[in-house]
Amino acid sequence: MKCVILAAGEGNRMHPLTYTRPKVMLPIADKPILEWNLLNARAAGLKEYIFIVSYKSEMVREYFGNGKPWNVKISYINQGKAMGTAHAIGTVEPFVNDFITLCGDTIFGASDIKKVAQKGTKIGLIQMDNATEYGIVELKGKHLIKISEKMEHPSSNVINAGIYHFNKKIFDFIRRTAKSPRGEFEITDSINKMVSKEPMEGVFLKEWRDVVYPWHLLDANEEILKKLKTKIQGTVEKNVTLKGIVVVGKDTVIRSGTYIEGPVVIGNNSKIGPNCYLRPFTTIGNHCHVGNACEVKNSIIMDHSNVPHLNYVGDSIIGQHCNLGAGTTVANLKLDKNNIAVVLNGKKIDSKRRKLGMVMGDNVQTGINSIINVGTMIGNDVFIGPGGFAKNELKPFSRIL
Amino acid sequence: MCGIIGYAGFRDARTVLLDSLKRLDYRGYDSAGVAIIDKKLKVYKEVGEIANVEKKIPLLKGTTGIGHTRWATHGGVTKENAHPHLSCDKKIAIVHNGIIENFSTLKEDLKKKGHKFISQTDTEVIAHLIDELYKGNLEDAVAATVKKIQGSYSIVAISQDEPGKVVGIRKESPLVIGVGDSENFLGSDITAFLKYTNRVMFLNDGELCVITPDAIRVYDKNKKMIKKKEDLITWDIKDAEKSGFPHFMLKEIYDQPDTVHHVLRGRISEIEETITFPDRVEKLLSPEIASIHIVACGTSFYAGMIGKYLIEQHTNIPVFTELASEYRYFGTRNESSLVIAITQSGETADTLAALREAQMSGCKTLVVTNVIGSTATRISDGYILQQSGPEIGVAATKTFTSQIIVLFLIALKIALRQKMLGSDELYNNIFHLKELPRHVRDVLQRSNDIIAVAKHLKDAKSVFFIGRGINYPLSLEGALKLKEISYIHAEGFAAGELKHGPFALLTKETPVVAIVTKDETYEKILANIGEIKARGSKVIAIAEDKDTEIENHADYVLRFPAGSHVLPCIPITVVLQLLAYHVAHLRKCPIDKPRNLAKSVTVE
Repeated sequence: MKCVILAAGEGNRMHPLTYTRPKVMLPIADKPILEWNLLNARAAGLKEYIFIVSYKSEMVREYFGNGKPWNVKISYINQGKAMGTAHAIGTVEPFVNDFITLCGDTIFGASDIKKVAQKGTKIGLIQMDNATEYGIVELKGKHLIKISEKMEHPSSNVINAGIYHFNKKIFDFIRRTAKSPRGEFEITDSINKMVSKEPMEGVFLKEWRDVVYPWHLLDANEEILKKLKTKIQGTVEKNVTLKGIVVVGKDTVIRSGTYIEGPVVIGNNSKIGPNCYLRPFTTIGNHCHVGNACEVKNSIIMDHSNVPHLNYVGDSIIGQHCNLGAGTTVANLKLDKNNIAVVLNGKKIDSKRRKLGMVMGDNVQTGINSIINVGTMIGNDVFIGPGGFAKNELKPFSRIL
Repeated sequence: MCGIIGYAGFRDARTVLLDSLKRLDYRGYDSAGVAIIDKKLKVYKEVGEIANVEKKIPLLKGTTGIGHTRWATHGGVTKENAHPHLSCDKKIAIVHNGIIENFSTLKEDLKKKGHKFISQTDTEVIAHLIDELYKGNLEDAVAATVKKIQGSYSIVAISQDEPGKVVGIRKESPLVIGVGDSENFLGSDITAFLKYTNRVMFLNDGELCVITPDAIRVYDKNKKMIKKKEDLITWDIKDAEKSGFPHFMLKEIYDQPDTVHHVLRGRISEIEETITFPDRVEKLLSPEIASIHIVACGTSFYAGMIGKYLIEQHTNIPVFTELASEYRYFGTRNESSLVIAITQSGETADTLAALREAQMSGCKTLVVTNVIGSTATRISDGYILQQSGPEIGVAATKTFTSQIIVLFLIALKIALRQKMLGSDELYNNIFHLKELPRHVRDVLQRSNDIIAVAKHLKDAKSVFFIGRGINYPLSLEGALKLKEISYIHAEGFAAGELKHGPFALLTKETPVVAIVTKDETYEKILANIGEIKARGSKVIAIAEDKDTEIENHADYVLRFPAGSHVLPCIPITVVLQLLAYHVAHLRKCPIDKPRNLAKSVTVE
């Protein structure tokens, strides 16, 4: 059975991180979201994959290749212009019979994938307290009746998780699917057409992690870090304190005086310390540097980025190839302790987090003693000059002097 | 200039081909057609819009096909003359871009052998020739055919007996392979298939390729299989779409804060105080160059003229600008001179011919182009990419400003090598270059002022553009932009030349656009404006913010930000582009596809 993974989306709501990468390549605990799905699907026994790609497809292709390092077979289909999920799945018609489809930007658990892969057409479901943001599912017994668009007052608390088991018949219904009001061909419309003739069984999932906005990566990161086991491959110098789960990659050096409270993951070839403080739920990538007198908490620092001297980074995400100037600090809590509002793509959104620092795109540089306010979204290739004050949203390539 | 697409894959060919033709339509065309193998070979072609063809095609299941947008050279604009062309038994279909020089003799021969011709095109002989030589293998027949034809061509062919196979070959006309998954493409340019893949292989002259859904095979002239490198195109489809603007031209004008930034990226460094080009280019920019010849056509030529001012201002190398179509046959060649060819597409036939001519005479050649992998990049000694992203509007905008900046960087680089530029001066230049995107954005934000002035120009029969020094080529470009998209007669003049003739044409109904910068020409151009005003003509001045004096001289003033010390011509260009655009828009002209013009002129 082939597994079709939808990996074409750009993910506008994941800006500024997706200006420079497709959504499925966002890293959580030093692995792209798509890799977590691949690992889980492999654990569920699936060996053949079709990745449907489009936006910055070369990055997916370069990372996964033909799948050999994972002992699986991966082929690709370029969706062309992203015209919705039904259009995406429609492109694989000549290559599949009975198949699993899942959204590559949502993390599914291995046992759940296994359940969906059992005989007969199936749809993955999740129970959720606040279901306003998702497609609502109506069931009769085990069987699906209808998937509705997201609604303000959901009629049930069961939502569509974004994983399906289809057979060849779905393509007849995809062909008959019209454009939705938002201008896309939606697989949910095709399914609604199909279920009156072809029963589809609902399967409740146990593990499910959806990431919509950048700060959701911090939640997903936390969840995955909790499950890891301590593994030290690099060098740990004398007088280093390690508490809880700590993963240290190959050729990484933890220098004297460093204090790490796990769970913390550090990639390969990184330099940590001397004398720095890493707090729980922090992921540091490959070729990174966290230097003297720096404190990092509940944050993701991607490859080739530096938090080199006298920095505080809390509840934040730093993209690749970034460099913070000495003394650059990030605020992560409002003085009135209220939820932090974020401006993303020009729109104000409640992050529903009390603590949130910044989300920094790739290739950003900050000058000494610059200050970054709570909930600041910084585009790629931004320059923040010495003593600069960054707040709200900074477009890619902009400069604060 | 014709657009070509070939497809072998799993999607329905009808959708892919129509989609690609729509993307190619920016090249300008007068008719279009497609051929699809749906058990039998089926051909649909029409004069005019691609939509006309679309209406005629039923839903087909075929997954192999070719398509073409035609810009007539041989034979009038008729349905018969539109491509694809067929063999007598209607089993082989071909599309072609270029010119077959010996087509009339071939046609006579084929007629004697009983072939029936239905069009006046040179292309049709190729279809019949392939048919004549076909022995069950399409690529062999195509290879044998090109041995008999003279001229320039890219040809793409399919045969009903070999579904799932598309054969292409090129000589002096562009053809690119798009590498897909379970599908492959052939296109006259990358935009044709960029929606489906950004992996490409560039074909060289004389190379033949066969694409099937699962394989790509490329052969050289001797039918030896060759291995091709795959290149990755970094712009994505969004760059080739209008993103909410009513026209590509306006979108591309508004792209300029970014493109001005991109052209500088990786080339200037404040910290190291240096300008960097690829090694091959650095070698060419030696301080010992005796002279520089800049060859180009159209807007690129005006960029070259500006380059002349910039290079001569900073170095002691004399610069000669030559129209590519003239340089080919006339003009001096000197082995110790450097020839810089400027071509946005890298496929402009006249410029390529001039390049080859220069190389034959032993000159070193450097190309400034926007298209990586284009013919110009492959036949020159070195090339500099403008990094502007695809330009779809026929009127060049963002590529013009990028070309000027590239030439300026060349001037600075040579000046550095000649020790004619100190590090403070260089720092100063780099600092101001980095400010350019801001100045451009500044102009874009004032487009309402420009619209107000455009209203005064829209009913003019004729408009003059004047400037002095570097503003002279700029006024030529301003006039070119206006004439090509608004169809108003417009001329650019060196301001000092007016009284040597053109004044005779000046009437009260001839508005004059004067470019005024605060430099050594300032007093003189004010005097010229006075002379024009004395004849009752309206004057629209383009002047910097701080210049209050100008208001006493001109009827209307359009502003660009003061403090554009380095290359004020960049923000001024944006004013000129917006002016031309809004005049054309008010006159309801087809801005992205002006009549009789094509984006990249691949015929001589």
